[in-house]
Amino acid sequence: MDAALLYQLLFLLPLGTAGIIACFLRKKHNLAARLSVISGAVFSVIGLYLIYARPEGEWSVSWLSLADTEGPSFDLTFGILFNDLSALMLLVLIIVGFLVQVFSLGYMKNDPGKARFFAGLSIFMFSMLGIVLADNLVMMFIFWELVGFSSYVLINHYFEKPSAVAASKKAFIVNRVGDFGFLLGIVFVYWQFGTFNLEELANRAGEHKELLSTSMGLLLFCGVLGKSAQMPLHVWLADAMEGPTPISALIHAATMVAAGIYFTARVYFLMTPEALTVVMWVGTITAAFAAIVAFGQNDIKKVLAFSTLSQLGYMVAALGLGGSTKLTGHGSEAVMATGAAIAMFHLTTHAFFKALLFLDSGSIINACHHEQDIYKMGGLSKKMPITFVTFGTGVLAIGGFPIFAGFFSKDTILYLAHESDYKSVYFILLGTAALTGLYMGRLFVVVFFGNPRSDNVSNVKESGPAIVIPLVVLAVLSVIGGYDWFFGHTFEGVSGAIPHAGGSFKTLMIITGLLFSVGGIFVAWLIWKPSNHADALEVAAPGVFNALAARLYIDAAYDWYVEKIQDRVAMILGFMDQLFISGLMVRGAAGIVGLFGIMSRSLHVGSLGSYVYWFAVGVLVLGAIAFGVL
Amino acid sequence: MTIGLNEFLIVSGLLFTIGFAGMLVRRNTLILFMCLEIMLNGVNLALISFSRFNGTMDGNLLVFFIITVAAAEVAVGLAIIVALFRKRQTVYVQELNALKN
Repeated sequence: MDAALLYQLLFLLPLGTAGIIACFLRKKHNLAARLSVISGAVFSVIGLYLIYARPEGEWSVSWLSLADTEGPSFDLTFGILFNDLSALMLLVLIIVGFLVQVFSLGYMKNDPGKARFFAGLSIFMFSMLGIVLADNLVMMFIFWELVGFSSYVLINHYFEKPSAVAASKKAFIVNRVGDFGFLLGIVFVYWQFGTFNLEELANRAGEHKELLSTSMGLLLFCGVLGKSAQMPLHVWLADAMEGPTPISALIHAATMVAAGIYFTARVYFLMTPEALTVVMWVGTITAAFAAIVAFGQNDIKKVLAFSTLSQLGYMVAALGLGGSTKLTGHGSEAVMATGAAIAMFHLTTHAFFKALLFLDSGSIINACHHEQDIYKMGGLSKKMPITFVTFGTGVLAIGGFPIFAGFFSKDTILYLAHESDYKSVYFILLGTAALTGLYMGRLFVVVFFGNPRSDNVSNVKESGPAIVIPLVVLAVLSVIGGYDWFFGHTFEGVSGAIPHAGGSFKTLMIITGLLFSVGGIFVAWLIWKPSNHADALEVAAPGVFNALAARLYIDAAYDWYVEKIQDRVAMILGFMDQLFISGLMVRGAAGIVGLFGIMSRSLHVGSLGSYVYWFAVGVLVLGAIAFGVL
Repeated sequence: MTIGLNEFLIVSGLLFTIGFAGMLVRRNTLILFMCLEIMLNGVNLALISFSRFNGTMDGNLLVFFIITVAAAEVAVGLAIIVALFRKRQTVYVQELNALKN
């Protein structure tokens, strides 16, 4: 089968589904949900065929063409760049996307906005697909904005809640800040290289190293700061948890926030070593910061959100560390840079176990009648056994328990850091790994053990099959997702570039992995005893806990800046606008025209006699002009 | 004394002025209509005078057209005035001001 047709189908399916639901099925909720899942299934089959069979054929449409007779012509195409990297990202999108759609059938069963939700999911799948397959930067940017839009719509799903509305606006505006830099970066790239096409860029950047600059890489990285929620633009991600939980799993954990990592891996050849050093520090600081702040959160989804931030920090750090490493992969067909490949590896395993954790939390929240405070839960291990086991799998995977997926990817990042020149980064990331085990242990212990702490939770039951089946599938993937045989040779371009630690470092990693994951749960059990009704840290050091709960006051600092500085500048500008633009120019012009109107209206008296006089005067004036008197 | 072109033109101008003055001062639509006819005939007289003076038939030709059109105009105009009177019970222009307000 021709690949071009398949690409077109791949784009049309989710877009068409969203369009049909938005136009015809807004009130037919069940029909909309079924249509969305069926189209998702077909989408997945086509996608998997493309990934594993790799049919021949290209698809490219000229979209905007400005020919110039003298200079070079300006062509924008809408095309596909399908290689091992995009295949891997497409695999993540398909697996998590389809499982989340199935999960949503159960989770959104009685939601009044079900049709709208599934339309949003479909439009997200379409937008994300565009990022994954885009062959040029402009197309990438367009879909980059489209995922931002889908994220905005889906965070805002419960639009009657003011907090959800505020969160969606925050997400959109913070992303806009990053995207401004991103757009400048794209323009910069075009100015230097004269093309947007990724393959041509790779060739030219390889030939002309002198055209690369650090500021170009950093401007492009601004987009990553926003979309992948790195410091200092991380503030939107925790608030984005106002959206429905399946959305948090798909968009705000597994795929969209990882788009920044994927993008950087895609344009890795544009990054200079200096830029990568900045990238590395941003990632490292984000990883450590988010892991610390996670201890101050009592909302189950907020803890997971900060854990996502922390893991994204790991990926970004891996990207940055790749700039100075001498490590190379084992595969002969490796085409990617080591740092980017390792980041993509962690992205994949993280997508599995973090989507699992979020969907588990969705299962819990659904069963507990939308209770999200972990200190109102407790004792769920007996009542929800499947959720308990799968959540435990997720906790061990993220903690880096050997044989689980998270161990392999995180271990490779730590290996990369260990072998780099930046020992401090290695120790920070190692410490963050310990904290990860601890805060996930806290979440696990408080939610699942002890006795129910509120009435909502005392009579919960295990969720239905639509919710449980995706959990089990993701749990299996969280276990096996880290092995070489899982990826096979299909993604050789990426997986071949991943180095493997050997010897004593491997032993060290196995020991620390065991220590951090199981030990983390054990220590958490001792500190945050299952019988406690309040947070141990809150009791012991309320000041520290409150600072962590307030996310170390960074959000407050932004609020202060917006309220005290930006609003005042805006007020001055608004006053100028009222005075000059609106007052003088718009109303002034209207006033002059109005004055003419009043004058000419007074001539309209309604008496035939006076019109004859006007006529006579008119004849006299015209005659005078004709004879040259006037 | 001989009656030349000037005298004819003076009469023509007088007719036109009388008609125009009537248009200005009178209020009855029928009278206004008659004033209009006087003005037309003043013009006709001037045209015929010039035609005679120049020895060509161009002016006469034009006058025939004017008389024809004026006849048609009178037919239509009188019909309008009759219709107006039936509707409004008046032919005085100061009362026919429906376009204002």
